[in-house]
Amino acid sequence: MPGFIAKNKKTFSLVFLFTLLFWLVTVQVKAGRLTFMEKPVLAVSGFFERFITGTYNAVESVGQSYAFLVRTHRENERLKTEVEQLKLENSITNELLLENERLRDLLAFKKLQPLNSVTAQVIGRESSPSSRTVTINKGAEDGVSKGMAVITAAGVVGKVQTALPGTAKILLLTDPGSTLAVRVQRNREEGLLEGKLVRCALKYVSYYADIQEGDLLVTSGLDGIYPKGLPVARVVKVTKHEASAFQTVVAEPAVSFSRLEEALVLRK
Amino acid sequence: MKSRVYLLILLLIIPAQASLLSPLSFFGIKPDLSLALIYIIGLLTGPTEGALAGMGLGLVQDVSSASLIGLDGFTRGLFGLCAGVLGGRVLNIASPSNIIFLTVFCLAEGIVISLYIQIFYGNVPFISMLFNLMIPQALYTGLLGTLMLRVLKDKSVTAMLLRRSLQKE
Repeated sequence: MPGFIAKNKKTFSLVFLFTLLFWLVTVQVKAGRLTFMEKPVLAVSGFFERFITGTYNAVESVGQSYAFLVRTHRENERLKTEVEQLKLENSITNELLLENERLRDLLAFKKLQPLNSVTAQVIGRESSPSSRTVTINKGAEDGVSKGMAVITAAGVVGKVQTALPGTAKILLLTDPGSTLAVRVQRNREEGLLEGKLVRCALKYVSYYADIQEGDLLVTSGLDGIYPKGLPVARVVKVTKHEASAFQTVVAEPAVSFSRLEEALVLRK
Repeated sequence: MKSRVYLLILLLIIPAQASLLSPLSFFGIKPDLSLALIYIIGLLTGPTEGALAGMGLGLVQDVSSASLIGLDGFTRGLFGLCAGVLGGRVLNIASPSNIIFLTVFCLAEGIVISLYIQIFYGNVPFISMLFNLMIPQALYTGLLGTLMLRVLKDKSVTAMLLRRSLQKE
């Protein structure tokens, strides 16, 4: 028997590791997610994310400058160069105008919401198949801490999962671990919104509750994290099953996470 | 030396996936770089190393995201194991059929994850996920992985790695 084990050492090691991982997952289903290695790993990946983003932007900028120079050399005409320069400036100005517009929206929203907040930029989007998170460029040094709400002018983004000195990990609304107390804006029906990777689902909605497609869900303020009345998601599908006491409600988040660039973190 | 290379890959792949691939996003769909990498490692080095690479990368991904620790490690480990088995028995490394295998593997992983979420959390919009996320991402990842293999083949890296493994044997 020991000879057989020694002969198939690799296979047994793999089976052991797979069993260990499976056991680890089942333990967490009952006891909640383990966070023992989270901060060191996030510190390292956050450093590399900032480094890679910075390098990428620098390379992109050098690449653009080089392409610009090659064009100027080929055309070899002063007026043409000026036109190219103006075009470039124009595109930068357009980009700045768009950024300005977005920031103005955020600022106006910030004024409307008399809350202590910090504006942050998204610097990374994690793509684990089983979760939905983004990294922002503000962290504990800027007063960001675990559990704080993250919003935009369009609505709720999620909440801070982990805060490191210079960065923070945001748990998006669509993450399966995300839950949020909401209310239907039209008739004030309450429910609990859970992330389902691409969309969200409203749980514990009575079979007899009046929920319609197109209804806007807003924060109820009952969870103590999000201020009351912020847009969260819009109902896209309502299904009623005769055998169930509840109805199935699917909702699309108000914020488009694939286009998310800036957000406000609400400090408590 | 080998372990240092693996450690470097582990440290760099997640931030690279998070920040560098954003410009490659197509209608919000990004290819899964780590999955493509696990497939290539499995293909070139065999089932054991493929499974270990998958577990390692998956665990780092678990810790740096909000996923349960071990879930991606488990699924990606299985994925690396399958890629290693296929690499040793069926696949030609330079074959365009890699796009099909990688797409199917990626899709299978997406289905396993959504089944898990359905079992433990319920109400998964499966059809919407399948058509809006899983299939486009699987195709995109399949294409990226095949392109990466093509580049490796052109640079003769594959031949070098194969020579080394044959020398070891």
